[in-house]
Amino acid sequence: MRRATPLLVGAALLLLLPLAAIEPRAWLTLTVAGLAMGMLIFLVAAGLTLIFGLMDVLNFAHGALFSWGAYAGFTVAVAVDGRWGWAASPSVWANAGLLLLAVAAAVAVAFALGVVLERVIVRPVYGQHLFQILITLGATIVLEELIRVAWGPNDQVMPVPATFQGSWDVADVVVLRFPAIAIGLGLLVYGGMQWLLTRTRVGLIVRAGVENNEMVQVMGHDIHRYFTGVFAAGSGLAGLGGLMWGMFSQSVRPSMGGEQLIFAFIVVIIGGLGSVTGSLVGALLVGLAYNYVAFLVPKAAIGVTMGIMVLVLLARPTGLYGAGK
Amino acid sequence: MDVLELEGVHTDIGQHHILQGVSLRVRPDAVTVLLGRNGAGKTTTMRTVMGVLPPSRGTVRFEGRPIHGLPPHAIARLGIGYVPEGQGIFAALTVEENLRVAMRAENAESRERMRRVLTLFPDLERFRPARAGTLSGGQKQMLAIGRALVNPTRLLLIDEPSKGLAPIVVEHLVGALEAMKRETTVVLVEQNFAMASRLGDDCYVMDDGRTVYAGSMAALAADRDLKRRYLGI
Amino acid sequence: MSAPAPTPVQAARAAARRDRWRSPTLSLRLAVVLAWALLPAVGPSFQLLDLALKIALFATLAASYDVVIGYTGIVSFGHAMFFGFGAYAVALAVGRLGAPTYGHLLQGFLAGIVVSGVVAVVVGAFSLRVKAIFFAMITLAFAEFALILAVQWGALTGGEDGLSPKLPGVFAAGAPGVFGLSGRLVTYYTLLAVCLGLFLVMSRFVHSPLGRTLQAIRDNELRAEALGYRTFVFQLVATSFGSVVATVLGGGYAMWVRYVNPESTLGIPIMLDVLLMVIIGGIGTLHGGLVGAAILLSARTLLPNLRGLSGSLFAGSEILQRLSERWLLYFGILFVLVVFFFPRGVLGTLREALARRRGPTASGRT
Repeated sequence: MRRATPLLVGAALLLLLPLAAIEPRAWLTLTVAGLAMGMLIFLVAAGLTLIFGLMDVLNFAHGALFSWGAYAGFTVAVAVDGRWGWAASPSVWANAGLLLLAVAAAVAVAFALGVVLERVIVRPVYGQHLFQILITLGATIVLEELIRVAWGPNDQVMPVPATFQGSWDVADVVVLRFPAIAIGLGLLVYGGMQWLLTRTRVGLIVRAGVENNEMVQVMGHDIHRYFTGVFAAGSGLAGLGGLMWGMFSQSVRPSMGGEQLIFAFIVVIIGGLGSVTGSLVGALLVGLAYNYVAFLVPKAAIGVTMGIMVLVLLARPTGLYGAGK
Repeated sequence: MDVLELEGVHTDIGQHHILQGVSLRVRPDAVTVLLGRNGAGKTTTMRTVMGVLPPSRGTVRFEGRPIHGLPPHAIARLGIGYVPEGQGIFAALTVEENLRVAMRAENAESRERMRRVLTLFPDLERFRPARAGTLSGGQKQMLAIGRALVNPTRLLLIDEPSKGLAPIVVEHLVGALEAMKRETTVVLVEQNFAMASRLGDDCYVMDDGRTVYAGSMAALAADRDLKRRYLGI
Repeated sequence: MSAPAPTPVQAARAAARRDRWRSPTLSLRLAVVLAWALLPAVGPSFQLLDLALKIALFATLAASYDVVIGYTGIVSFGHAMFFGFGAYAVALAVGRLGAPTYGHLLQGFLAGIVVSGVVAVVVGAFSLRVKAIFFAMITLAFAEFALILAVQWGALTGGEDGLSPKLPGVFAAGAPGVFGLSGRLVTYYTLLAVCLGLFLVMSRFVHSPLGRTLQAIRDNELRAEALGYRTFVFQLVATSFGSVVATVLGGGYAMWVRYVNPESTLGIPIMLDVLLMVIIGGIGTLHGGLVGAAILLSARTLLPNLRGLSGSLFAGSEILQRLSERWLLYFGILFVLVVFFFPRGVLGTLREALARRRGPTASGRT
């Protein structure tokens, strides 16, 4: 962590620079939006980086899990809203209930899919990078097409609970509600993951496995159970990210996973393989940079994320918090 | 009964036929040394025993029961400890965490054994909360051996522990190994002949993936011809 | 004066060279080339010609990808990007430099090659030093970036609508041509010759000492490095070579199809296509690309005919209809099945079966 401090300071400076070009209130709104976007990307990247770190698997199917989580949550949300009207209802409890049910569905479906994927698709080709990439790519295509078959190929509107729509007016600054919630959720997830990783035995073994999974096996731990667990947990997170993204953009579409996956990859590269903190920092960096630049020079937005990745790799080829594998 | 028995073991890595018929027997409560030049297949033999590499032919038996084909974690749980070449230390984890990961289960007995390890290696006690990556070479080696001792071990496989260590550290290491020798059976892969001859009771020499000499350490140490032919010394 | 006795390696190489002329596959290969050359006489339909040339182009593209992935062992997702560079370079050169001439065409190709070469070297220098997975991800990021750039930079690239270049002289649409052959046919034969030429170059490349070194690096990088080979340089050379070939093919594609847009030349669909072709044909076989391209592209032209059929069969159920329409779904399933059951592809499995028949001594163990 200590070695990353100067980089963090640099990043902080970078964040304050836009204040020169953007007036403070807009900056605040953008910052919240950027942090929210970052948090959502973090949800996807966190699972991805652990899967890379522990299993050395390049999981292209992660984007499909994102989409499936979103659609699962979407289905539940539409059903609940259709039946009881919880989205439009002014009651906070109803709104929260809808959100929780949707989240539960998203995470459960993505988690289950993750277990299936790991055992059926990934495990047989374990150790052969090329085939892992190919097979997860093939699985992604199949999963995405199945969404098109089951739900149709068009964009659909995601019901967002009323309390979470709109914004709060805090001292004349417009703070959008849903992004704020997303940030809170992201911090919760990060905190939870850190606790799991540092305070539990399972987390200890996973951290050791990220460094050297052969050694962990030789110590008597069945690494394959950990693989499945981490893969499934990462998938669940991706599903959560997908649902939240669906609510954030108020729509779902079959290609949503693929679109976000590239961001997640860039974030994992920036943050370093196997580091949850790295993906948080990277994701926030990307989210913020994207929003600031999109405001100033819309077409350069995606170039900026690539630019950050290039800069980070030049300074530190294994990523900000990379284990240097 | 032999603690470990290999018979006609062949192992391939990809297309390369590395082990071409390894046969050896390890007596209980003795130190068996595996000698040979670089590339002779010593590490591959260890890894085959541990199940990291599957043998394509032959049998591996631990206390009479066949273990070839079992996954590494199952083999480890039978009571075999492994200290690989390069130690396999988890650099980002603390010394204490390294020891805890090594435990097959975190209970009172394991924690008691950990205390004993820390007593045996006082440096580790000093650096207990420090990140293992910051330890010196010798300390890492101690940690690696310590990790293997945190579980009840009936067979300890150690691969080139003196590699890259200063002579004075090697001395300390030899002392530690001599202390352990009385409690558990050890198979030691070593290129450092002086160290090997001090610790070893039996020895096997490997060349080109085969065991080419079997006998007592003392006999090998006394035979100049053999030493020159197989070890180049 | 008699030459000194050859060393064992020289003798082996000379023997291999002799064998190559006598090998049975040589006649097979000649037959294939002949088939492509005589096709216009046998089947004058444009659709058939189009399919044949596309197969030739993509087979060569797949082979160039095989050099990177199969022979050098580097997983890269940037290959389609270089194809796109070539296509755009040619399209821009004949379109934007004034009235199209052969000179402009050549300039387009050269510009494409230079750009690709530079990008390949830069990306490689940058990312070949990191773990393989990282490299794959970085190339993917760059490829995506190139795609977005092409879409956004409308002024230069025509954005999503793309470019429709007008080709010079005999390559232009509806040109009268020479020697009684229509312009279309001249383009066909020119491009066929280019493909054949590139294929031969690649074949020489992989069988050369350089190629063998690359395979050694692919099999065991550490050992190769220990032997003194600067693996990084070799890998860089191989990826740049593959990229440049892809660029030339992209230019050829632009010449034939006369329409270049981001989706068809730069995007993930092309990358996936090439990947699947190499997998189906067989990684590390070079000629597998031909098999893969033939299978994939033929299937694709036949599928639209099937679609109409499914529309009438499943008129009642929307889900069933959707299921039959989504050919990409079956593509994906096919992909996964091939990777699982035929990881060596058609050609690879064949070669293995033949090698086994010839006996254990032929497998070349040290």
